[in-house]
Amino acid sequence: MNFADNERLLDKLAAEYVLGTLKGGARRRYDALLARDPMVRRATAEWQDRLQPMAQFTPAVTPPDSVWRGVARQVGIQVSTAGASTTAGKRSFWLGLRDDLSFWRGLGMVSTALATILVAVLATRPPAGLVPVPATTVASTPAAAAPAASLSYVAMLADDQAQPVAVITGDIGTHKMVVKLLAPQTVAADRSLQLWAVPKTGSPRPLGLVDASGSVTLPLPEGVTPEAVSLLAISVEPKGGSPNPNAPTGPIVYKGAWLQI
Amino acid sequence: MSTLDPQQLRIWLTAVANQDAQAFRALYDTTSAKLFGFALRILNKRELAEEVLQESFVSVWNHAGSYQASLAAPMTWMTTIVRNKAFDLLRRVDHTVELDAETFDKDVMNAMESTDLSPLESLQLTEDAKGLAHCMTRLEGLHRQAIALAFYHDLSHSEVAQQLKLPIGTVKTWIRRGLERLRMCLQKSEGA
Repeated sequence: MNFADNERLLDKLAAEYVLGTLKGGARRRYDALLARDPMVRRATAEWQDRLQPMAQFTPAVTPPDSVWRGVARQVGIQVSTAGASTTAGKRSFWLGLRDDLSFWRGLGMVSTALATILVAVLATRPPAGLVPVPATTVASTPAAAAPAASLSYVAMLADDQAQPVAVITGDIGTHKMVVKLLAPQTVAADRSLQLWAVPKTGSPRPLGLVDASGSVTLPLPEGVTPEAVSLLAISVEPKGGSPNPNAPTGPIVYKGAWLQI
Repeated sequence: MSTLDPQQLRIWLTAVANQDAQAFRALYDTTSAKLFGFALRILNKRELAEEVLQESFVSVWNHAGSYQASLAAPMTWMTTIVRNKAFDLLRRVDHTVELDAETFDKDVMNAMESTDLSPLESLQLTEDAKGLAHCMTRLEGLHRQAIALAFYHDLSHSEVAQQLKLPIGTVKTWIRRGLERLRMCLQKSEGA
């Protein structure tokens, strides 16, 4: 069927599809169109926006705790008895950070690119940061590959177009992190780029200033682990860094998930 | 219970896509009662509604990543999951919900029939739901009821006709006109 000539028909079918009165063979045919025709998808989404709020016309009824326990068990997260909503106010900053469509859309692509770029970073790291034994030796003598000098964490920071901008590696053996810009960035003379750890709870923590081109080595503070810190972010600040030690004052320009290797 | 602020819900959903358990708990705390009330209305049985609510939140956790692409309002996205799961369950267990068109969704209908929206205020509606409620109050009573019956109970035209004890042709026409009026009314309130 070609709906291009018949928008009224499409609109009518979409409405009855969302309402549920389109049944049987007609519904199956509509499902098939939905899978391949963006126009049909759009018409359906529009009717969903219109009619689905009807679901809210019923009064709220608190479900028993067993439902949450069942959900938590099934998805494999810890069951907490206290609601997290008490901390909602404090979390607005970092949650706001994550509310960025293009960033999350790009994340899949970024993760794939991460492996490739990580290899490049490893290859170009300054000799001081390298494990002092060649890789072949490490493989044959596992004892020599002590965790003391190994990469532990990595983040790839992307801009709001999901373009990778910086790779950050953390080493828990040396307590150092290396921030490497993949391409030189332009920063006004009176501005600095500042790196932040965005924890799962509490306020962001400044990690240091970042060179707008090349790489910089910063101390890796205790507690900046992927378990506690979900994101690293870079903001544009006045020269020398944010006057507020607990929050950026300028815009967040790059961000990425902080991951265990 | 916190309010169903779409911006806040969207932020939580985005965090849930990143496997953030705390945001997930906050989302659950805020929306579970509303979603449970909806599931209960469809299924009429607590244990079935509990099963559907649990399945739905597992699905929210697993599919939060694809939420952004849907571009829907957060409650629209989540209530769609609940509704689909509830209808699936009904088909699976071949469970027939006892319907009584006379008393069907009395509180909901009453709320919509009153011209001032104060009973709706107590339902804690998002803005889009308030808009829809407003437009539904402007439909004729039986048209409204036919649409709500179909929506909540997965009914065909003939089943709605049976419930309302009306000829199927009449019901088809009412539903079609009702939907058309809703569309126009919603467009108008959007533009305002």
